Amino acid sequence: MTVPPLRTRKLTIIAQDPSVKINGKILRTQVEIPAEELQPGPWGYRVHTVDFDSSTSTLYQPLTYPSLKNGVDADPFRRAKDGKLLSDPNFHAQNTYAIVMRILARFEFALGRRVSWHFDSHQIKVAPHAFADANAFYSERDQALLFGYFPGRKGMVYCCLSHDIVAHETTHALLDGLRERYTDPSSPEQAAFHEGFADIVALLSVFSLTGIVETLIDINAPRRDRSRIDKKLLTIKELRNSMLLGLAKEMGQELPAIRGNVLRRSVELVPSRDYIKQTEFEEPHRRGEILVAAVMNAFLSVWVKRLEALGQIAPGALDRGRVIEEGASVADYLLTMVIRALDYAPPVNLEFCDFLSAILTSDREINPNDSKYQFRDTLRKSFISYGIKPRSAGTPSDPGIWLGPEGHINNDRIHFESLQRDPDEVFRFIWDNRGAFKFFENAYSRVLSVRPCLRIGPDGFALRETVAEYMQILEMQASELKKQKNLKITVPDDMPDEQEIRLTGGGTLIFDEYGKLKFHIENRLDDGERQSQRLEYLWGYGYYRNPASFRNFASLHRQRATSLTSFSREDW
Amino acid sequence: MATSKPKSLTIRSYQVGFGDCFLLTFHYPGTNKDRHVLIDFGSTGQPKNAGENLMLRVAQDIKKQCNGKLHAVVATHRHKDHISGFATNKKGTASGDLIASCKPDVVLQPWTEHPKARVDAKQAPNGMTSNKAFVAALGNMHAISAAILTEAQRRKSLGPTLKREITFLGDDNLSNLSAVENLMQMGKKNYYLNFGAKSGLERVLPGVKTTVLGPPTLKQSSEIKIQRSKDEDEFWMFQALANQFVLKPEARIFRRAKTYTTSPAYTRWFIDRLSSIRGEQLLGIVRALDKVMNNTSLILLFEVNGKKLLFPGDAQIENWSYALSKPAIRRLLSTVNVYKVGHHGSRNATPKTLWNGFKNRSTKKTDKRRLKSFMSTMKDKHGKVASNTEVPRRTLVKALDGESELFNTQSLKKGSISLVCEIKL
Repeated sequence: MTVPPLRTRKLTIIAQDPSVKINGKILRTQVEIPAEELQPGPWGYRVHTVDFDSSTSTLYQPLTYPSLKNGVDADPFRRAKDGKLLSDPNFHAQNTYAIVMRILARFEFALGRRVSWHFDSHQIKVAPHAFADANAFYSERDQALLFGYFPGRKGMVYCCLSHDIVAHETTHALLDGLRERYTDPSSPEQAAFHEGFADIVALLSVFSLTGIVETLIDINAPRRDRSRIDKKLLTIKELRNSMLLGLAKEMGQELPAIRGNVLRRSVELVPSRDYIKQTEFEEPHRRGEILVAAVMNAFLSVWVKRLEALGQIAPGALDRGRVIEEGASVADYLLTMVIRALDYAPPVNLEFCDFLSAILTSDREINPNDSKYQFRDTLRKSFISYGIKPRSAGTPSDPGIWLGPEGHINNDRIHFESLQRDPDEVFRFIWDNRGAFKFFENAYSRVLSVRPCLRIGPDGFALRETVAEYMQILEMQASELKKQKNLKITVPDDMPDEQEIRLTGGGTLIFDEYGKLKFHIENRLDDGERQSQRLEYLWGYGYYRNPASFRNFASLHRQRATSLTSFSREDW
Repeated sequence: MATSKPKSLTIRSYQVGFGDCFLLTFHYPGTNKDRHVLIDFGSTGQPKNAGENLMLRVAQDIKKQCNGKLHAVVATHRHKDHISGFATNKKGTASGDLIASCKPDVVLQPWTEHPKARVDAKQAPNGMTSNKAFVAALGNMHAISAAILTEAQRRKSLGPTLKREITFLGDDNLSNLSAVENLMQMGKKNYYLNFGAKSGLERVLPGVKTTVLGPPTLKQSSEIKIQRSKDEDEFWMFQALANQFVLKPEARIFRRAKTYTTSPAYTRWFIDRLSSIRGEQLLGIVRALDKVMNNTSLILLFEVNGKKLLFPGDAQIENWSYALSKPAIRRLLSTVNVYKVGHHGSRNATPKTLWNGFKNRSTKKTDKRRLKSFMSTMKDKHGKVASNTEVPRRTLVKALDGESELFNTQSLKKGSISLVCEIKL
């Protein structure tokens, strides 16, 4: 008789960061992640932790993990004291490994397939104590997630022990793997999206832990009775103060030094349609905060709505355990929603309005009945309250969703089996339909990815889809672009004629389980209005003079902490 | 005492290599009625053919030109390339001693240099006023530079270009204690200025109106929503602690943990990458703090008989933003006649809004109203052509050369110590 192998394992992590405590002890939790036989590091099939400190040239020896054979779920730090967690680099390595794997697993669960890194390796390198610096970042070139440390007021501060920082950096890496062109210079919103989306995933990942919700909900209500909670504390305003601002306050005092206090700043952005038009919010970091605010407000709204449906266990009081459980499950559902939306977003030149339509459509596809959470309606209203309207008008019953493709789509010469995984087959499909897609002639086109996926809906049925991305590129000088009357792109007045310009466009193709095209979600190369806006922005902000500054998370995070921008429309 | 307006002006742009040093001599009617204003005196690198004791020779020339009496000294900001010449020595024979012996009536500096603004940089920013927290952050930046310079010297894996850049910027941002103290003591009166403040030159330069256009105070900056958060000041504090920590002996964070003496082969590629990242990071940090320091520059506009002379130190857009946000100031600046090129001709210290607003730009060399520009610089010292960061920036030099009469210290021949330009007022 053999014991069936474990599919998942549990490892201890610090729930948020060492400063979030309960009864004087660091709040910790066990997270469930994919099980695997680890090499010392931890070194698994997707993550290789190398604990090298480049500031002091120290390479720490890793821990050897017991085998999972015979069904033993070994969690070496489960009963470790707080002092041990803080002082043992091997726990730091485990904490980082476990959070990276948890986020990876959340992405794979939401998308229904394996998610690859963008670089040429299966395993991302993780350095929990990479350098003495108030910084942490993802580096595609180095195939790595790097976390700094620095002396704080009450001892050393380790970025690798902060759940939201590890989740944030992991999200950058995963997003880069899923949408490689989102780090390209484009509109301020595409630049803002990487940061904003990483913040959203990080925050929802933290809030999907019941221990965190339980700790924060008591901030404004000292726990007199473990079983109930006053209903007055469960309004959007009160929850914003306790859950969001509360977490911002609870977070390590020194952590804002790493990338600014994003959570606090986002929460303070009360709904207004004006931000999006203000120059201040043209700066990508600030603009990203609008996206975070829109999503986190929807989170609170849905949670409060769910609580209204709960029966009172005493006059004016709700069951505390249910309130906490609802909060964590609402965060978890929303996390899945926002990740899943990536498949329904255009592959280039993303704007927030595209992302909203992507969320609404992807959720509708897998969960036609939104009556439980009413998330689609809430998200749409929340985004609109921040001045972000869905890109697509949608239908009367489902406003904001993407619509199906127009015209006759030619499938005649396509092999369905190949279409699910072969970029050449997808390219043939695109080529055969270039007329139907009304492609701009003579642009270079290529398929970026083809990904078959299988998602399970709440009704238990499987949704099979194939997601393919393609992009188009057109390069010409400013003087040539001016002559292209059919493009209707306005070139900035002071741009020299010989300036080389690269225009990009592209689309995401969603095929159903029979190989029929369900959606063609595109940002067109010949969209004169949006291309003109992008050109104006990039020229104005100095991209053509200093392209390097647009694609580097290390400097972007430092800029965020110091509020310095490295590219300016005023530069030479 | 000079009572009427000056009739002419001599601008001397001294050869200090990569640095600034300008002596403005306002000629008033009558004999021996000149007024001398020294704007900056510093260097971070001298030309190969400069000869020995360049700074001392410059100081001697300044003393000679002003007949041993300076009426005002302006130190736009605390970077070495603007104030190192003010440093003194125990014997009293250094360039800074010579300048101090010219007994300036007033010394002008930005508000961030006010002795009362000084605090213990290791104090938590949250317990301070915003101004003090910012000044503390500036203090921390010096400490970071010192630590980074030491680390860069120790680090064998840094490539020569990276090392040169880090060393250059790190060195420029070291605290220049001797120069700072001399500036505090040499004048009869010290003024620490911000946008809109009275310059302190009113009595020293009769008939000359001096407007202070920068730096703005933190309160002023917040009016245009460039709000400095204490998180930023805190960032610099932690950064300073981090950079200093690694220089301690046995700086390892986990003393008791087991480490490798020889790294396993499978980790070496990544270890090499990490070591290289560390070098880039040091450069990123010194670049960021260099920018903050540049933005404390004093920006002065002199007006006399309708002629306008603009001396902005190394101010970059963050400093300029407040002044340029005001239409009246943009109008005032539109008719500038003399422009001291910001930050040695770097790409980000002559805001396009400012340059494009200059109405006296002209491609006609015969144009009598043509803008005059002064640039003190030295090529191949800072930045790289490949990354469009070279100083002076080619595109800016082309514009300066094409649309103004450019006085560039790089054009000085061997043995010449200054460029001299006479301007009728």
